[in-house]
Amino acid sequence: MREKIRANIMIAIICFILGFMLVTQFRSTEKSGSAITSLQRVQELTAQLKSLMDEKEKLQGEVKELRNRLTEYENSASKISGVTEAMKKELLRARMVAGLVEGYGPGITITLDDSNVPRQPGEDPNLFLIHDEDILKVVNELFAAGAEAVSVNGQRIIATTEIRCVGPTIIINSIRMAPPFTIDAIGDPEYLESSMKMRGGIIESLQVFGIQVSIKKQEKIYMPAYTGPIQFKYFVPEKAGE
Amino acid sequence: MNNVLLPLIGLLLGIIIGLVYPIYIPVNYAPYVSIAVLAALDSVFGGLKAVGENNFDVYVFITGFFTNALLAGFLAYIGDRLGIPIYLAAIFVFGVRIFQNLAIIRRDFLNKFLKNQK
Repeated sequence: MREKIRANIMIAIICFILGFMLVTQFRSTEKSGSAITSLQRVQELTAQLKSLMDEKEKLQGEVKELRNRLTEYENSASKISGVTEAMKKELLRARMVAGLVEGYGPGITITLDDSNVPRQPGEDPNLFLIHDEDILKVVNELFAAGAEAVSVNGQRIIATTEIRCVGPTIIINSIRMAPPFTIDAIGDPEYLESSMKMRGGIIESLQVFGIQVSIKKQEKIYMPAYTGPIQFKYFVPEKAGE
Repeated sequence: MNNVLLPLIGLLLGIIIGLVYPIYIPVNYAPYVSIAVLAALDSVFGGLKAVGENNFDVYVFITGFFTNALLAGFLAYIGDRLGIPIYLAAIFVFGVRIFQNLAIIRRDFLNKFLKNQK
């Protein structure tokens, strides 16, 4: 009889564990939104993403190679005559305007990170995160203060650069990035800094929500060139001088 | 009556405690735990079948429960690391066994019930 009761208790313990496991699993599945059934889908998408990323890397290498060849052509052409030499200078200027040349100069470095202020329940968490708009405003303000070149997390801002929210990340030059954001700007460090720290300015409005901002004046900032593809499918230039 | 009562209380207690303490399994491990749960369910149905056939052994039951659950989760994990969907095999084996055991349990139950009627 005692043996039987002990067995029953054992089974009860097993049932207890089973119930616990079932409920935990049930709740986890419910929370993550049928994570199990979509596992295959996740794997599928991961594979797809990986192959696309590989392809992108390859294409990027190709772009780099083509750019190198282009500079080779330019160099060899400039050796031929003074006209081409002048043209090369003009070309360099145009490329500098377009942001296709890397370089360096004095300026400031701004670092933005999500708020670390403890959130009160009921408060909108969106207020404490960095949004695309915030970065857009900072970049805009920097250009307004005479910045000659701006990059965000190593992505050079050029005329066609987008700064856009994609889910929890921000996409710039088709590159996803997450906080912290490091914004480099080349220009007069004093001007740039004061434009940021302006009363009622962008930094002040960000700091209200506890977003961590640090501004550092730099003697020499390295500025990367825009490395993405440039395509004109629809734009046709008006022929000048004809 | 006592035979059913204690395990049932255990099951209810487990469910209640599971509801009260919100422990979440990380999404990455959820598939492995689900396999473990399936293995555990299989063990329990196996135990019920053994009770019906009167050859139930507590120690076999307990060791089976734990080793099956852990092994199933572990194998699924290893399979994922190696890129082999072993969890499919586990689902298949345990699923088939659960249904078989259920059929046997049902037949046992029906037999007993009909005998009592006569």
